[in-house]
Amino acid sequence: MSFDDQMRDALVTFTIESLELLEDMEMCLLSLEDGEDTTERINSIFRAAHTIKGSAGLFGLDHIVAFTHVVESLLDLLRAGNLSVSPELVAALLPCCDHIGLLVRDVADGKLEADPAVDLTGGQLLEQLQVFLSPLADKNVATAVADRQSKLEASGGGSIESGKWHLSLRFGPDSLRDGMDPLSFIRYLTTFGQITQLTTISEAMPPAEQMDPETCYVGFEINLKSDAGKDEIEGVFEFVQDSSSIRILPLDSEIGEFIDLIKQLPEDDSYLGELLIKSGALTRRELEDALNQQGVNAAGDAGDTAAKQPIGEILVEHQAVQQPIVNAALDKQKQIKDNKARESQSIRVDADRLDKLIDLIGELVIAGSGVNLRAQESKAMALLEATGEMMRLVEEVRDSALQLRMVPIGTTFNRFQRVVRDVSKELGKEIDLIISGGDTEVDKSIVEQISDPLTHLVRNAMDHGIETAELRRERGKSARGVLRLNAYHAAGNIVIEVSDDGGGLNRDKIFEKALERGLISPNAVLSDQEIFAMIFEPGFSTAQKVSNLSGRGVGMDVVKRNVAALRGSIAVESHYGSGSTMRIHLPLTLAIIDSFMVCVGHSTLVIPLDKILECIALPTDTGEHDYMDLRGEVLPLVHLRPLFNIHGKEPQRKNVVVVEHAGIKAGFIVDRLLGECQTVIKPLGKLFTHIKGVAGSTILGNGKVALILDVPTLVDYVQHKSATVY
Amino acid sequence: MAKTILIVDDSASIRQVVKIALTSGGYDVIEAVDGKDALGKLDGQKIHLIISDVNMPNMDGISFVREAKQLPAYKFTPVIMLTTESQEAKKQAGQAAGAKAWVVKPFQPAQMLAAVSKLILP
Amino acid sequence: MKTLVLEDELTIFSASEQKNRLLAFLESDHELEINLSKVDEIDTAGLQLLILIKREAALHGKALRFILHSKAVLEILELANLTTAFGDQVILPHNEE
Repeated sequence: MSFDDQMRDALVTFTIESLELLEDMEMCLLSLEDGEDTTERINSIFRAAHTIKGSAGLFGLDHIVAFTHVVESLLDLLRAGNLSVSPELVAALLPCCDHIGLLVRDVADGKLEADPAVDLTGGQLLEQLQVFLSPLADKNVATAVADRQSKLEASGGGSIESGKWHLSLRFGPDSLRDGMDPLSFIRYLTTFGQITQLTTISEAMPPAEQMDPETCYVGFEINLKSDAGKDEIEGVFEFVQDSSSIRILPLDSEIGEFIDLIKQLPEDDSYLGELLIKSGALTRRELEDALNQQGVNAAGDAGDTAAKQPIGEILVEHQAVQQPIVNAALDKQKQIKDNKARESQSIRVDADRLDKLIDLIGELVIAGSGVNLRAQESKAMALLEATGEMMRLVEEVRDSALQLRMVPIGTTFNRFQRVVRDVSKELGKEIDLIISGGDTEVDKSIVEQISDPLTHLVRNAMDHGIETAELRRERGKSARGVLRLNAYHAAGNIVIEVSDDGGGLNRDKIFEKALERGLISPNAVLSDQEIFAMIFEPGFSTAQKVSNLSGRGVGMDVVKRNVAALRGSIAVESHYGSGSTMRIHLPLTLAIIDSFMVCVGHSTLVIPLDKILECIALPTDTGEHDYMDLRGEVLPLVHLRPLFNIHGKEPQRKNVVVVEHAGIKAGFIVDRLLGECQTVIKPLGKLFTHIKGVAGSTILGNGKVALILDVPTLVDYVQHKSATVY
Repeated sequence: MAKTILIVDDSASIRQVVKIALTSGGYDVIEAVDGKDALGKLDGQKIHLIISDVNMPNMDGISFVREAKQLPAYKFTPVIMLTTESQEAKKQAGQAAGAKAWVVKPFQPAQMLAAVSKLILP
Repeated sequence: MKTLVLEDELTIFSASEQKNRLLAFLESDHELEINLSKVDEIDTAGLQLLILIKREAALHGKALRFILHSKAVLEILELANLTTAFGDQVILPHNEE
């Protein structure tokens, strides 16, 4: 007979037995009010309910267990004398008895699940019982059950794959007398995994005369290779836990794994113990022991209430967990607390309302400029002073409004902990993620939009950048690859870097590929920078093997497009053999910028101020050259007049605005310099999006439209132009 | 030679499930319906492990274990007490009487087999 | 040279008698041999006794050998990783490798 058949048989026994018990129960209930001594009858009623509940549990009949549990609790109170027999009580219990009978008969008919209609009746019956239960507040039972459940959930937290454990076991002296054979537990332990090392410790055994053959003297030091969690392993020694010393620690080589797990825990619990339990490094029992110890210690030196020994210290002393793991949990705890503190000081605001405010301030800036312009024309000193003060305030309001949208980029970075962990598992590489500059603040909308390109860069770096462990060892690097995410502010930009210590870009391969694709001519002389920049061209991929992560030839160009859409730029720095860094430059904000107005012909042009290094007069000897001598440096020039096809009379003297982007300088040749102003960026209509060199437009104080120059594109343009000329 | 286990419980279905679980693990199982019945069963043969319920008519589990532990042949025999989660006090009483192991009701057959396997070989 | 044949079980139930028997045997000669072929059950208490007697023999400079380990004994020595310590110069009758 199969196991299932046997269980079905047992279920029949259960229904017969339960119906018999219910009959007894009913009889006893009916006779309770006859005035005789009720103790024995109450006992048997209780036992009947107790047995039915216990047996129902064996068959997973949870609805019967749940219902009978309440009945049993009530009977327990009756048995303990906390309740007395009354006609009302009997009247409430009898239908419960019938209800259990109904449930059991349903089981006999093959209905193993709760029937909703029947459940409803059951609920009503239980409500009637509550009348008797609630004054006594039988919360104990309820909380006990709830506790159990939460424990079960908590213990399901972290898990270590193929973890290795060190067990240090010293069995209590009475173990043998108690029938708890240490070697029997160890034999059982082998069903959880493989014992890779075991040492029997018998030094505690006294000389022959004093040695009591019934006392246990042995201990064991065991290394266990097992997929089981710490609480499972601890469960093996459940019966001897109180009398023995059972220490289970991750082997030193596994500590890093636990630290990683702790770092990736969700931030919903800030208790040290809970963090450790979730990571699987600590079991609930160990924590409870340590908490008790803490209480005992505190009671011991009652005079000194402040000096409560930290729980982490106790855990390490008890060898429940190693110091580095506790440290990681402490760091995590601090991080959670910091974040919580930050949260508590902040108000959540709908992003739309914020955007609306910024829009309005933008309009205010424009209107303010208009007022200022009129004031200047009027030449009324008092008015000029008033508008000057107003402009200063408007500027401050603008800055603070923009500050509202600034968020630290750390949150976005931290999300990559998980990505890196998952992807490295997928790729079978060991990769550490190092994050720095997480405090760097950037506009919220930029943060939202940079996430995708960043993900692509990170995956790309892990997939193609960082080599396999074997290759790394061959190249004399540590087997673990390192991926860095870094952010910092530079020249009004936020710079985000994704670096790896992998193989770096292969210059020659990229050159070859670029030739193949017809992107360059065979005899072009290109700098490393220029060649590396090819990887951002559409359809360009040097990946040898195509994985499902990256390497399908789409990607880097999309990254570049996404970044460009944010008015940013991306550059790559790479050293063959030692790694690459992808560097993204982004503006701090998208809405309002400080800028510098220039005039070419009748057109007014706006250049973002943070890109401008200086303004100088154009030396008269430059002529039509595309470069000039800037204090001994070659400065490539952009003639804006022909570039934008602007007509009108050329002035005698021209000026050069020296700009810099991503470390490259260029000079824009303009007619006149108009001065600084605040510019609210208005996007260009769809019609103009293909126009290169223009980032947007703005409305001037006098109502005229001015174009905002796209410095990165223009710098790029002049650089390429010079490359083809030489 | 398979080891023999005595299950003492007044519920026939619990006895049956325990028997099914342990037999599947290679143990021999004999049954007793209460403490009195169980004491009688101890005489006839060598029993390697005892599983006992607490709440039983005639003789409850605690008294039974206390008496069994007085017998020289069962002085060191491992005893598993069947408890319910609300019976912490009973568990303590059981431990004092000599039942150092326990299984909490309701249990799955596999849990019972695991508890026994920790203590003795089949 | 004397030989002791341990019989039946070497467990907590018989540990007291077995201890006395083993210590008395240790006094009996300088060259000793314990035959374990008849031990059909052994637990941690029994293992402790084997460890004790081996230690005492060494302490008193006596030559003690364990021979003809039964399957039960071999199994428990293997579990405690003491096969090398107790399995010296012995042909293992149950070669399970």
